[in-house]
Amino acid sequence: MATRIDNSALFAIFSSLADNKQAIGRRYAFWSNGAPALEAAVAAAAMTQDELGHARTLYPLLENFTQAHAQPEQVDPQTRTLHYHLAYLDDDFRGWCDFVATNFLLDTALTTFLEAAQNSTYEPLRQRARKIVQEERIHEIHAEGWVRRLAKAGGAVRAALAASLERLWDETLCWFGPNDDPTMQRLYQEEIIDATPDELRSRYLDKIMPTLSGLELDVPASFNASAKQWEPSEPLPWQRWDSIGRRWK
Amino acid sequence: MSMTTTEDNPKPRRQQLNESRVWHVYARRKYEEPLHEIGNVMADDVELAKVYARSIYDEFSWVEMVIIPRESIVTVIAS
Repeated sequence: MATRIDNSALFAIFSSLADNKQAIGRRYAFWSNGAPALEAAVAAAAMTQDELGHARTLYPLLENFTQAHAQPEQVDPQTRTLHYHLAYLDDDFRGWCDFVATNFLLDTALTTFLEAAQNSTYEPLRQRARKIVQEERIHEIHAEGWVRRLAKAGGAVRAALAASLERLWDETLCWFGPNDDPTMQRLYQEEIIDATPDELRSRYLDKIMPTLSGLELDVPASFNASAKQWEPSEPLPWQRWDSIGRRWK
Repeated sequence: MSMTTTEDNPKPRRQQLNESRVWHVYARRKYEEPLHEIGNVMADDVELAKVYARSIYDEFSWVEMVIIPRESIVTVIAS
């Protein structure tokens, strides 16, 4: 067996990425025959395959770490009992709007992290990040298209979308961690990613806010004109943050 | 499914999400082949139409795929 790497930060982030991708795939799967239109159902099925595929490429990386020694059963998704995905994904989606919110907010957040890892010093992550980012471009187009559609439908449809976005908003922004998050800071120091948590959050908001702002969907973020970037306009609820599971308690 | 209407949009909720634009999908597997019609998708949004075409007609590794809105087709002969 090859020498295992001792890096608790990488192990933690791979656990979180893999569990989130796996949970997203499972939630998407339910909607592969329940989307509002046949075309959307087929797209949901394709994205389900992509997400589960991403999880499948990430879980085996856990074996490369000494941290896997203590609990070998946690490396295999078939025997894993830890669930380090966002609490939002604990339950079935309440409707199609939850699918769209997950697609638009959470999946884009994970992609923002992977974009920051495309020149990673850890080669297995670098390779996977580039491939996943490429596939995620289609998911982003799907997400933006559906956010526009639901928002422009107005009335109860728009309200349902706004409610789904609101429920997922804070937890997604928290996923990057507080700016002194030891996991993300270590990855940054070791050039495994090229941004701090605050920088990642800012890049993320720069990606999603033009769409939300253009549709006048109200979310707690504001544009800092002097820094020329979007920022959370309200303090994030860190008292709910579980730093081990990278999710809400 | 609720059939609620709203002041913003007078259509029932279900109809608000019904796609109405048809896009013809053309593709080819080799550059030496002409593009040929492989099907169609319905989507009001061109970007969503592109996503749908890619995910529905993914049976081959196409070298090119294009979509054409049905309303841009001009009939020359109709029997």
